Amino acid sequence: MAASRPNRPERIFSPSAAIFAWLWPGLGYITLGERRRGFLVMFGLLFLFVCGLLIGGLDCVDKKNDKLWFLAQGFCGPIAFVADFANQKIVQTVPMDFTPSAAGQANRARYEQGDPEMLRQLGRVGLGRVNNIGTLYIALAGLMNLVVILDVLYYTPRPGPERRRSEVKR
Amino acid sequence: MTALLAYIPFLDPINFFHDWWYLLLLPLSFGLSVIYKAMRMPKLVRFWREVTVMTVQIVVGMIALAIGVSLFVQVVIPMIPVMP
Repeated sequence: MAASRPNRPERIFSPSAAIFAWLWPGLGYITLGERRRGFLVMFGLLFLFVCGLLIGGLDCVDKKNDKLWFLAQGFCGPIAFVADFANQKIVQTVPMDFTPSAAGQANRARYEQGDPEMLRQLGRVGLGRVNNIGTLYIALAGLMNLVVILDVLYYTPRPGPERRRSEVKR
Repeated sequence: MTALLAYIPFLDPINFFHDWWYLLLLPLSFGLSVIYKAMRMPKLVRFWREVTVMTVQIVVGMIALAIGVSLFVQVVIPMIPVMP
């Protein structure tokens, strides 16, 4: 019975590849010698990330207001943190507090007076389905990159001409 | 049209898709398929064909789910007797 079981390739524990995979999408596979696989993963992840930003704008990545979504988006790597930083510096400059507090009433007064700076910034805040879908694109990119990170962390060598076995440390 | 002209890529949300949001499923399923197939295929032969097949599978699956849910909401739920 046991002899009929095919030999499975040995798994390689490679934390450095996992770190590279988080630093830039696809870099984990490239460091393991799988250039084509790495570039394809890079293309797919950056495609989702860029499409998310194109659809929902910078406001899609918001660590302050969408913490749970950012948990997933953060797996995209430093690019998610750069997008969040740009969001906080460019889009989220207007306070969104319109509550009955003194600060909220002051903001409401600015809005009702038609403050052009406030109206321009409010136009950049994503709302509704467009914001939901843009956020979803980037969160799914992050979750897929988490799977990629786990795959390169416990890497199983694949048969194929694209992988240079000599580059994989055993 | 005015909303499209005022659109600054990467900065503003693209408000044109508020009414056509379901079309955004197509690039989403394509991107997911590229990543999944790049990771799972042992040999990357006929890669784009596999990606196309998986993209179509996701889209057809979502359409089937949408039909199923709308049938449930519009046909099954009205058949449930109202509690007195």
